[in-house]
Amino acid sequence: MERIPILRMGEFLLVTIQVDMHDRLVTALQEDLTSQIAASSAHGVLIDISSLDMVDSFIGRMIGTIAGMSRVLDAETVVVGMRPAVAITLVELGLSLPGVRTALDVEKGMVLLRAATRRRLGEAGDGRDEK
Amino acid sequence: MYTTEVHQKSREEVIARQQQEMLELSTPVVKLWEGILALPMIGTLDSARTQIVMESLLQRIVETGSSIAIIDITGVPTVDTLTAQHLLKTVTAARLMGAECIISGIRPQIAQTIVHLGVDLGDITTKASLADAFAIALERTGRAVRRVRAGS
Amino acid sequence: MVVMKNDTMEIRASDHVVLVRQAVRKWAIDLGFSLVDQTKMITAASELARNALDYGGGGTVRLEALENGHRRGLRLTFEDQGPGIPDIDKALTDGYTTGKGLGMGLSGSKRLVNEFEIASRVGEGTRVTITRWK
Repeated sequence: MERIPILRMGEFLLVTIQVDMHDRLVTALQEDLTSQIAASSAHGVLIDISSLDMVDSFIGRMIGTIAGMSRVLDAETVVVGMRPAVAITLVELGLSLPGVRTALDVEKGMVLLRAATRRRLGEAGDGRDEK
Repeated sequence: MYTTEVHQKSREEVIARQQQEMLELSTPVVKLWEGILALPMIGTLDSARTQIVMESLLQRIVETGSSIAIIDITGVPTVDTLTAQHLLKTVTAARLMGAECIISGIRPQIAQTIVHLGVDLGDITTKASLADAFAIALERTGRAVRRVRAGS
Repeated sequence: MVVMKNDTMEIRASDHVVLVRQAVRKWAIDLGFSLVDQTKMITAASELARNALDYGGGGTVRLEALENGHRRGLRLTFEDQGPGIPDIDKALTDGYTTGKGLGMGLSGSKRLVNEFEIASRVGEGTRVTITRWK
């Protein structure tokens, strides 16, 4: 079974979903991302769904789960590029993905991730900022 | 018979398309600044109209890469539950896409109706005027307005 | 009302759910559905196909292109011979889950379509029919 590639971009991980995913692929992505976040100590995950013309409850829940797991592993998740028709349908479906940050595109998503990471590391206040 | 039916169908399609175009023209989405859109709504909002307008707003958000959309309802006399729900759904959809909506021009009567209907605006920012909403939008996108010289 | 075209597809594996989505997309486009309506129908189909597979033990979906006067529509009938749903009303209530979201898929799909019918018998199976009109 093919797996969705996860790219490393500095301190963040980038996932670009471009295929119509069957459920097993969705679950595999969830597992792969979780282990990669832990292994790389990434500070954030960017999930690009600009190619998806449909997001159903299974994929929606995957996104929510990834966001939750990342937070536990001290990383932020930002979902970018959701299409209008997909957003309208998700809202009608009853999924508002609470706790998931969103941005219009990858560039804006990166800005969001950097700001969130700076804030979180700044809050650490345990001498991490001292050289 | 066949010819008449086909003619009827295409005439209906033309009418439907014209109605759609009129709807989109009567509620234009305006770009106030880089990344800031405004949607001034005029007249009564019925369910169908609101849906079409909201869909075009979301489309414009993507096309212009705007992260803030101001929905101004100064020109809307009344709001019913269905319309309020459509507004809420649009704001939620915009959020999922990565854009924030500010609702401006909520007159006291509409504010009363919203509370009376039990509609929960949650953490949606609301401002009395479009001007106030624009000021907030500028602030949120990291901009400030500076006086360069005294006005005449 | 006339059925202009019909087809039946198997739902026996998760790959089939993807094929069903693709078929529904094509049929919706051919019927001239707006992008939003296409997306709603595809999403509803995905939910119900998944239910048939995960809870029904596999099943089928029947696609029908309808014409009612000047209106055109798409009707999908999902059928399985699975355990059936004991309490349909409860299953349709938002937020209800039998562990993995059968309820969300059902009640959610209902909101995405114009017509929704469900028939289920414990020990015999379930049939869900959804219709979306252009």
